[in-house]
Formats: sequence, structure tokens, C-alpha cells
Amino acid sequence: MKISIDWLKEYIPVTHTVEEMADKISLTGIESGPVKLGEELTGLVVGHITSVTPHPDSDHLKVCQVDVGEDEDIQIVCGAPNVAKDQYVIVAKHGSHLPNGVRIKRGKLRGQESNGMICGLDEVGVPAQYMPKEFENGIYVFDQPETPGQEVYDLLGLKDQMIDIDITPNRADTLGMRGAAWEIGATYDEKPSFKKPELDDTKVKDSNNLSVKVEEKALVPDYLVRELKDITVGKSPLWVQRRLWNQGIRPVNSVIDAANYVMIEYGQPIQAYDLDKLAGELTVKKAHDGDKLQLVDEDKVLNHNDLVVTSGDKILGLAGIVNGKLASVDENTKNVVLEAGVFDGASVRKAAQRHDLRDDASNRFEKGVDNGIVSEALVRATSLVDQFSTAKEISKEIVGNYTKAEPTVIDGSIKHINHLMGLNLSTDEIVKILDRLGFESEVTGDKLTVTVPTRRWDMAIEADVVEEVNRIYGYENLPNTLPAGMETRGGYSKKREFSNKLRDVLLGEGMDEVINYSLLSKKEVDDFNTIHSEYTKLLHPMTEDHEYLRNSLIPGLVRNVAYNQARNENDLGIFEQARIFNREKGVARPEEVEYIGGAVSGNVVNGSWNTKAQKTDFYYLKGIVDELLSFTNADAKFEYIATSDYTNLHPGQTAKILANGQVVGLIGKLHPKYQKSQSVDDTFVFELNIDALFDLNPRNVQSQSAPKYPSISRDLAILVKSDVQNGEIIDDIYANGGKYLNNVTIFDVYEGKNIKTNYKSLAYHLEFLNPNDTLTDEEVEKAFSLVKDSLVQKFNVEIR
Amino acid sequence: MSLDDKLKSLRENGIDEAKRAEKLQELNDLRVNLLGKKGPITKALRGMKDVPAEKRPEIGTLANNVKNDIQAAIEEKMTELNEKLVAHQLEEEKIDVTLPATKQVQGTKHILNQTIEDIEQFFIGLGYEVAPGYEVEEDHYNFERLNIPKDHPARDMQDTFYLSDELLMRTQTSAQEGRDMEAHDFSKGPLKMISPGVVYRRDDDDATHSHQFHQIEGLVVDKNISMADLKGTLEALCRHVFGDEREIRFRPSYFPFTEPSVEVDVSCFNCGGKGCRICKYTGWIEVLGAGLTHPNVLKMSGIDPNEYSGMAFGLGPERFAMLKYGINDIRDFYLNDVRFLEQFKGVN
Ligand SMILES: [Zn+2]
Repeated sequence: MKISIDWLKEYIPVTHTVEEMADKISLTGIESGPVKLGEELTGLVVGHITSVTPHPDSDHLKVCQVDVGEDEDIQIVCGAPNVAKDQYVIVAKHGSHLPNGVRIKRGKLRGQESNGMICGLDEVGVPAQYMPKEFENGIYVFDQPETPGQEVYDLLGLKDQMIDIDITPNRADTLGMRGAAWEIGATYDEKPSFKKPELDDTKVKDSNNLSVKVEEKALVPDYLVRELKDITVGKSPLWVQRRLWNQGIRPVNSVIDAANYVMIEYGQPIQAYDLDKLAGELTVKKAHDGDKLQLVDEDKVLNHNDLVVTSGDKILGLAGIVNGKLASVDENTKNVVLEAGVFDGASVRKAAQRHDLRDDASNRFEKGVDNGIVSEALVRATSLVDQFSTAKEISKEIVGNYTKAEPTVIDGSIKHINHLMGLNLSTDEIVKILDRLGFESEVTGDKLTVTVPTRRWDMAIEADVVEEVNRIYGYENLPNTLPAGMETRGGYSKKREFSNKLRDVLLGEGMDEVINYSLLSKKEVDDFNTIHSEYTKLLHPMTEDHEYLRNSLIPGLVRNVAYNQARNENDLGIFEQARIFNREKGVARPEEVEYIGGAVSGNVVNGSWNTKAQKTDFYYLKGIVDELLSFTNADAKFEYIATSDYTNLHPGQTAKILANGQVVGLIGKLHPKYQKSQSVDDTFVFELNIDALFDLNPRNVQSQSAPKYPSISRDLAILVKSDVQNGEIIDDIYANGGKYLNNVTIFDVYEGKNIKTNYKSLAYHLEFLNPNDTLTDEEVEKAFSLVKDSLVQKFNVEIR
Repeated sequence: MSLDDKLKSLRENGIDEAKRAEKLQELNDLRVNLLGKKGPITKALRGMKDVPAEKRPEIGTLANNVKNDIQAAIEEKMTELNEKLVAHQLEEEKIDVTLPATKQVQGTKHILNQTIEDIEQFFIGLGYEVAPGYEVEEDHYNFERLNIPKDHPARDMQDTFYLSDELLMRTQTSAQEGRDMEAHDFSKGPLKMISPGVVYRRDDDDATHSHQFHQIEGLVVDKNISMADLKGTLEALCRHVFGDEREIRFRPSYFPFTEPSVEVDVSCFNCGGKGCRICKYTGWIEVLGAGLTHPNVLKMSGIDPNEYSGMAFGLGPERFAMLKYGINDIRDFYLNDVRFLEQFKGVN
């Protein structure tokens, strides 16, 4: 809401610039910014049109003589359809400045001299949607004579200065000028003064033709109305209109403007109904499903949650939100009902959302209004309508429901309040600050009892008092301290340290870390559901791209590869450490499992002036995974088991990764068809379950001195069927190599020329070692023979 | 020729030959030939028997001098040749150091994780535990326990991805507060924790909004926690992240789970407070929200607000990184263009 300085001055003295005030209010209360309207405007004065003659060479232009307070009238050519003799208008004289850099200069219009411009309100800075409808397509005309030549700025509020406050939901007390005056007053140690509104007692009579009923008393704690009879609806005074349009409210007529003015003044929305259009008792109740509310430009279909104001069978409006057209006040209205109610915030909020009708009134009820001033605000609205529209008779207050407003009493302790601030203010200082806010204090020893007026319904507990005292005292005056309690030992969890270690390995392997979205499309969760999880779906997703919780890191990694390769970044090594979501059937909540996964594509090493290019392949990525697994420090047997289980991975280049026989991850090449559909080059991926790896027993590392005895080596070359895997051979060698077989490595794999079809040649290096004694050749030879015999027997190999 | 003259002539020739030598091998040969057991000096000395006895010591000294002089000449020449050889080798081995390196690549940690870990390290140093929570959270912990009941208007500010009536994607890492408070044994000392992680909001993705982003929640509960402690802690944090000269200021704000609540601004690290484009000419940049834990929040976790108080703060690593490195589009963090990622190699 924008706090007009001109208006604020009615309540408190204002001595600072809006910039200074906005800064100070931001630091002590509510985020604010300065607003200075019409800074660029110059040369705008009141003009009195003394004659209008047709333009000799134009059908729509008129030649006007205008008194602008100078010795002679000036001639202005004007094209507005509503221009007429004797009007008092806004004149932009020669050399004047209008908004958006427009400058007015004298000149000729179709041969006729024109010494300025007669302006519409929108041309001098009032937004078109907030100016009175009658002037929408023409010039603005003052309602009453003004002094020709007088500047128009103050008359029209064109250069108003304001403070735009952006309230937090708890401070809706400042959504009225009076509440804002209290807040700004407290900031500057100025108590605001308000005039109590009064009615003309001679007009006040008991009403005898309107009854009011509230069916939903819990949702409508206050519902008060007054009638005004025999009024003349016209225009409201200019001072009301200009304040309204500067608030972003369009002036309509003398009744509706009065109601809106009181809403801005008190923060209490007021509704007006044409009494003669009512069809019976004014009733606040729940609508029936399918009821219709007629608005000016559309109908709204209501349901049983909507709180409505009705009269007989007419649905007049949505309570606290909008008045429909059935009983709206117009220029023919003679008798009027003004309503001041308090409606339940949550109910108003939901209805306003449901019907897309959030506005100034609903916004106030949503956040709360002061139920201590409902009656007074109604008096104020009634007196303004009487003032602007002259009623013959005014009813007493008619009560549909009434809840006595009680001030809030908060008990606190001076010591505790100081202690929470980290300050040591005296009782006097605290009491004085509370007094600035208009709160009464009573002190007994350390005990502080604060009585808070109803206008500050956000205040409830001692902590609220702490905030008020601290902010008015000034947060800038707080010392900087650190919590002084017992020492604590901070740090990461063991699991987080474990995953940090694994991330460091991959960074060391040259892979860049990525972070992807956890929410995937249906296709993406289908693509890599290798953990066979039930899907976890959002109830109300925003887009199909982000609908399911991820069950694998691979879709994100593949998306990253595609994104980069589309930008000609072809050589990639990336990894991500994040959670995947694994849900069991029949369980609502998915398990959150820490995973680490990576993808490589393109070259590991680029060709250069001194190096040959090297492409990524399965074994390159496997090397990285091996290193990762060795850094788990797990006392476990890791295995790679070939698999063709996964639709989108290459059936001949994919393995499950097992730890002690349990699957903990996978590694493989993307399936060529999948690669094509994702527009990626040959790409190799892996992912590992960090939680499972973390749960493995760690190695018990006890240092051993390096063996004193030399090892003895044997090389073994075999010819074996192509489909026999290296892993099987190695396992068999270890199984038969005896206790001194220390290490087996493969050093050659060959298929093709000089090897019979469907066979391959493998060569192994076997190292035997007895750490405690010298090995003899006989011992080694014996073990080596057993190895060879077993291979021949089991795999039908030829020893070469 | 007298023996005397013979030796002198041998010396002359030997030194001369040594000087003329061009290869190390020639010098080695010269040494063996001249000074060896079968060499001319040894041979000449066999004529010593013809020398009168009184002159023999003189000749002996001369012979030794001749040997030493030749030896010295050979060594001098050898040193010279060696120097030449090394100089030649160095010349041969000269390379163009401006040719590109053989690439040795370390990966780059994601800038968000670098930012998060920098903040984590700061708090670990102050004795905070790092406690990540659940990404799928109960409505109870994400809202109710934070003093945000079902109809609270604050639920409007953060549209939520629900999985069911009671389960949701957490909208704030504050969701961890309730879990940590109820699990903590206060007889063992204060609760000091930070909870970093991913949170989710029903937002359309654009340059400044993301349906997924990170937060770090901080919470300290002890017998003597004050607003001054909060200010001191956050100023130290802002100095750690944005530079030693930084100051912070508190502005009143509203969060349902803190009272008092404040927004925290840091003095602009770009202009030092004079005003610039980054701080929108205010000299200050809003970086986080904080406050004292609302007594209701303490009570719901079984903590007596008359005995204990708490401070809480929540900050956004995306915002910190965007400010610090001038990143204009939050989506850049999640596109993972390696050209974007690798800019941040080693910044933290
Ligand atoms: Zn700046």
C-alpha cells in the first residue's frame, strides 16, 4: 500500500524526505520505498475555456480561447469530443513537460495557431484505469471553478509523494492510513492524533424496514450495517477522488468512493447496497452448489463453501470479496445500506482464489482487520456518504453479529526480554518504546504486563514484545556476539565424509561434477528403473518434464551429455552424487538412497601435437569405477557380472557390480538405439549405491613389512573359446594356484588372424610368493601344472 | 740428449698434444701412453743409472714435475671438452616452451557444492554439525512443526509439491528443525546444526525461479541464545563468504517459525556500500532470513521456551553464488554445460 504524505500529515507531523522515511521504516518496521509522482511535470495550469469555435479545416478539431491567468486568453486547438465553453480544464502551456518525455510546444494545427494543449488525466500521469470513466475518452474537466493560471498539481495529486510499504502478512494493521500512521509515528516518536467521526444526530432514526441476519456466526464475528435514506448520488469531492486514484482505485460515485476511502483510511472494507433493490432480509450465509453470482461482466458459479450476502432469493455478493450487480449503487440510488463486516480470513482467501477475485477488500480480510474499529469505520463511511450525498435520514447501527474486541494482555519479564535481545535496557527504556507504539505497560519488579490495542492483532506473546522493543530500539544498536554455551564438536556425518571421499576420487579422475533435477518425466523413470522401484509421482506436477521422483541418476547424466554434445562439447566426463527414490509397493514414502553415478563420452585424451587421441571405452570407465571401489576401503569382494537385463544398455557391454554377491550398481555402454534417440555419441555410464557401499565392513589395515623373499613368475598363454570370460579364467587360476599364488594379471587378449574362428588367445602373468621362505622351482611348477590341468579340464583350453 | 732435456721435451710434447686433443678418448689415450708404466717417461727414467748420484734427486723431482704438468694439462683439457659437450647437449635439447602442455585434468566441483561446502566448513569450525534431512517430508515437519498450520496464509507463499495429503517434497530445509530438536539430548550441550539440501517449490522455471533449489538451514538452541548472537554469527559468515570488510544489517520481517524475524542484508561487496548496479544503488544486498526460534516451535519439540531459546537462519546457495560470481540465470546451475561448470575450477 502507498502511504500518501499529504494524507499522513493529517495524523502526524512529517519533517523528513520520503527517501529518508522509506529507509528508516524499512529498518525499523516494514520494507518500504519512496514514490514521487509527476517529478517531470512542468507548466500545467488551470485554464478556463472562454470560447469554442469550429476549426475551419477540420471536422473534429475545435479552436478554443482559454484564460490561463495571463493578460490575454491563449488560443489552443483541441480535438477532444467533450471540450466545451466555460469548462475549467488542465492546460499544458508552451514549453511544459508531460510524462514519458513529452514536451508541449506552440505550433499550428491545420493552419490554426495552438499555444499548448488541453489535457486528459491520463496525459498528465493518472493511469487510465484509475481515472473516472466519464473522462476516459476526452479531456478532464474540473467539477467547480478553479483559479485560471493556478498550478494543477495539488488539486489533482499529480505530484504526490508517497511511501510504498510492502507488508509481511502479519502487519496488515498498516493496510490503513491510521495503522500506517501509528507505525511511522512510532519510528519517529510521534503519536498520531485522529478525529473521531460523528453523525448528524438530528438525522439518526431507528430503522424499521431492514433486518439483518448472519447464519455463519463463526465465520462472521462482526456484521454491522446502517441505512441512509433519500440521498443524491453524485460525484465525490476532488480531494477524495485524487486520493483514490493515487491508491489505484477508480472514483465511481459519491457512495462507492466514500466506502473505498474508509477502507484506505481504516483498513476496514465497506460495502454499499441499493436498499430499494433488496428483496428481503439481508443475510450472510453459505451458498448452495450451483448458485450464480451476477457480476458486471460475468457470472460466477458458486459452491457450498462460498460465503455470500443475500437478500430474499437474490445473491448480492461474495462476502468480503465482491458486490455483484443486483444491488449495486448507481446514480439513481436513493436509499443505501452500508455494510461493515469482519469475515474469516481463510474462508475469504479460498473463495477469492477459487473465483479469481482477489482485490483490496479480500486482501485485507485474508490478513486480518482490526475488529475494534468496525463500528467506528461504519460511522465514518456513513458520515462521508451523508456529507457527499446528503441523506435525509440515517439509521442507527443494525447488528447482524457483534464480537466485543478486547485488547491483548501480554505478560513478560524485563530480564528475559533483554536476554533474548542480547541487550541490557532499563525498564524505563523498554516502557518508553512500548509507549511509542501506543502500548500500555505495567511493571511490578521484573514482571512486565503489556496491554496491546486491538489494532495490533499480530501481538500475542512475549516474543512479539521482544521484536517490537528490539526493532524500535534499532537492530543497528545490537552488539555482535557468538553463542557462548558449552563447546560442541561439529562436523559431517560419517556417511557424508564417505561420499565426499568418493566425489574427490572422481574429481581426481578428471570428471566434472553436475547437479540435476530430482523430478523426471515418465519416460525418464521408465528408461532406467534398474532398481525395480515403484514410481513416486507428484499429485500436481507443473509440467510433464518434472512429474516423478528419480529412480536413477543416469537419465540426468545422459541429458547433460546430449546438452553438451549439441553444443559441440563432445569429450565429456561428468558425475553426480545425489539421492534416488526407491519406493516399495504399498508404502507411501519412498526410501531416499544416496547414489553416485557418472558418464564418459568422446575422447579421454585428445589428439595433440605430441599425443595420440584415446577414446573412452568400457575399460576406461571400469578403471575409474575400480579406483572408486578401492577408495571405499571396504573389506569386500567386488565383481562385474555381464548382464543384458537393461533395455537401454548395450547387452554385450554392460555389467552389474556386486559387493559380496549383492548388486550395488552397474556399468555399461548405452544401447545404440537409446544413444540415437537421445542424440549422444558412444557413452558409458555407471552408478553405485553409496548407502550399500557405506554399510560394507571396512578393511582392517595392519601394516605388513614388504616380503624379504623374491617372487617367482610364470607366463601362461592359452587358446580358448571366445565366449569364455576373463573373470572365469582368473577365478579358476586362483582356485588352483595354491597358497603361494600371489597375483594374476592378464597381459594379452587376441582374436583374429592366426587364431581359429570363435577362439581367442589370452596370456596371463602369474606371480608366486612365499613371504616366509624361499620358493623352490619344484613348488611353483607343481602349482602351475595344477592351474593348467584345471583350465584344460574345465574350459577345454589349449595351452600354447 | 741429456735425460734432463729428454724429460723437458717429453713435457713439451705431452702438454702440446693434450691441448690439441679434440675428443675425450684422445686424452685418455694420451694419459695411458705418456704416463703409463710402459710410457716414455718411465722408459726415460731407466737412463737414471747413467746420471751421477748427486744429480739424481734433481732429475727425480723433474720427472715428477713433468708427470704432474702433463696430468694437469690433460685434466684441464678434459674439463674444457666436458663443458663443450654439455653445452652442445643443452643446445640440442632446447624446446619451444610455448607449445601446449600435455593435458592433466582434474574435474571441477559444481559451483553450488563449492558454495555449500565453503559455508559448511565455516560452521563446522564453529562447532556445528551438518545434518541433512529428508527431501520427501511429512507435512507435519515441513509445516505444522514450524508453526504453519493448514490454513496459514504463509502456505500461499510457497506452493508445494504434494505426494499425498501428508507427504510432500520439502519446501524448506527448516523442515529438519523439528527432527533435530526432538532427537537432541540437551544434557550433552547445545544443539548447533546446519542442514543443507535440495528443496522444491511449485514455481515455473525462469531466470530467477527454479522448481528445485538448495537451502542451508541453521539452528542453535541453548539456554542463552540472543538476537545479538544471531547478528554476530551471521556477520562472521558474511565476512567469510563475501570478504572481511563486510557488515550486515537486520530488517524486521516475518516468518511463522521465528519471532523476532529479520531479513539480513550484507554491505555490497562490489561497491563497498557506495551504491552500484549489483546492490540496486542501495549499498546493501539481501542475503538471508533469520530470527529467534518461535516459542511454539520450541514447545512442539518439548523444549521449554522459558529455559531455552533458539536462533535459526536459512540461506540460499544459488543466491550466494549468483551474487558472488555474477550469474544471471538460475537455470545455468542445472543445465550443466561444462563450459559453465569449468569456469569455477578452484574458486573455493
Ligand atoms: Zn553495490
